Amino acid sequence: MLIGRRWMIGTTIAIGTAVLLYFLPLFHVVPLSAKNAASSGDSSQLGTAAIGQAPQSIFESKAFVNEFWRQRLLPGSSDAVDASNLIDAIARDPREARKTYGRSVSVGSVYYYFIKGTGRVVSVEKNSIGLAIQDGQSRIQVSLEAGPIFGNAVRDGTGLLDLNNFANSQDFNAVSSEINRRIESDVQPMLRKFATMDAKILFVGCVEVTDESIDLQPLRVVPFIAESL
Amino acid sequence: MTSLSISMRLVSFLAILLALVGCKNATKPQSGKPKIAIVISTQNNPWFVVLAESAKKRSTELGYEAVVFDSENDPTKETSHFDNIIASGYAAILFNPTDADGSVTNVRRAKTAGVPTFCMDREINATDAAVSQILSDNYSGCVTLGQYFVKQVGESGQYVELLGLVGDNNTWNRSKGFHSVVDRFPELKMVAQQSADFDRAKGLEVMEAMLQANPEIKAVFCGNDAMALGAYQALLAAGKDKQVKVFGFDGADDAVKLIAEGKIVATGMQFPKVMANTAAESADKYLKGERNLAQKIPVAVELVNQGNAEKFGNFGAEK
Repeated sequence: MLIGRRWMIGTTIAIGTAVLLYFLPLFHVVPLSAKNAASSGDSSQLGTAAIGQAPQSIFESKAFVNEFWRQRLLPGSSDAVDASNLIDAIARDPREARKTYGRSVSVGSVYYYFIKGTGRVVSVEKNSIGLAIQDGQSRIQVSLEAGPIFGNAVRDGTGLLDLNNFANSQDFNAVSSEINRRIESDVQPMLRKFATMDAKILFVGCVEVTDESIDLQPLRVVPFIAESL
Repeated sequence: MTSLSISMRLVSFLAILLALVGCKNATKPQSGKPKIAIVISTQNNPWFVVLAESAKKRSTELGYEAVVFDSENDPTKETSHFDNIIASGYAAILFNPTDADGSVTNVRRAKTAGVPTFCMDREINATDAAVSQILSDNYSGCVTLGQYFVKQVGESGQYVELLGLVGDNNTWNRSKGFHSVVDRFPELKMVAQQSADFDRAKGLEVMEAMLQANPEIKAVFCGNDAMALGAYQALLAAGKDKQVKVFGFDGADDAVKLIAEGKIVATGMQFPKVMANTAAESADKYLKGERNLAQKIPVAVELVNQGNAEKFGNFGAEK
């Protein structure tokens, strides 16, 4: 009799606890994707990376570069150093030239010059147009890139863009790729058209210096403006 | 009093005692110095060991007691390390994450608990969680490496690629950077691409299989140096080490030595010591009141080839 009553009390407590836990659970189980989305806290920039795939970004690099090109890059040309002055400064003292005109964006030895000038075409190659900048010169002082563009010369060389304003480095790299693509599609075809021997060309662009022994003489410029004079 | 209730009281007493002892050890560093935790994704790779040891050395030089936690590439272990670190009164965390998305929660929890985090080498996908992220630009490094690959291999021919861990962001940052260049040359054809998990033994195995299926290849691009070393071993055993050019990434000492000897063609130096030192120094500045630290501090990856390999020994040293 006593045992039966104990069983009844025990069963009632168990059922009561079960009902209570049903309505007030101790923990929630949520789908992994929902958890990741909530924890990332930055849904505008992320897609959760699926195993075996590159993370997907929804950053619109093309739209970003369209606006950047029009509103900041072209107007920003006035800040570029004059090519002739830079060539003289490098000839005097490359270290001092870097200090005065160069720009670094990372810890390391890579740096950039933002440069503008006019020059006379002294060579036309498949992937480059050689210019003599200073009067009386016949050697190539500036080489305008006319083939495929790689690297971050224009993105990092102007000082107009900062990695810290982007949610992740993949978006920042996408900006670089889009700037390069735009130079190849909008700038280089015109450049190749009017770059004949002795033609005069105005240019604005950036130089990426990774190895001073080959990148300074001539200065290898990625041009985002190239006009015939 | 029954023996059962005596046992239960004894167990409760011991549990309380253990908890008190645990709390005491956790909150009071034995040395009396403030503590810095160094949480590393894996120590099963010499490059990460250098990253961890350099962070520990620099933190110690700056006056901290530094402890290294190995996440063994397991996000669950990483979370448990953060639980321990937050509960144990650490002053700061130097962090090499296992997952760009998944690790954000851990960094946010530490921030809420008042423990600042400084990421090293790998990025987390949030800009308001860590105090600072000292990052190696894998994509740009592999753009440079891709350009050198075309220069060395030529604009036509067959090659293969060994990928790292397929769930890791850096695997794809490297592969995408490399292909952003090489894919522009349609006569350069990738005839096989397979993961070898950033592992030297697997790199050897996968390379052996790839060689049998593709005997005409001219080059192999490997997502890290451990796989490049494995691939080179396979090529040597097959007598094809002169025919197939090997390219790696990381700047591991063994790879740099083989580059100097002309056996491997090139790698990208990531400077683990520079990143670790910068992270420790940033943490020190922050703990001393400096608040003007950049969210992201990029560290350039530099091309290492036979012409400059002598400059890059000892994991790029400290530049």
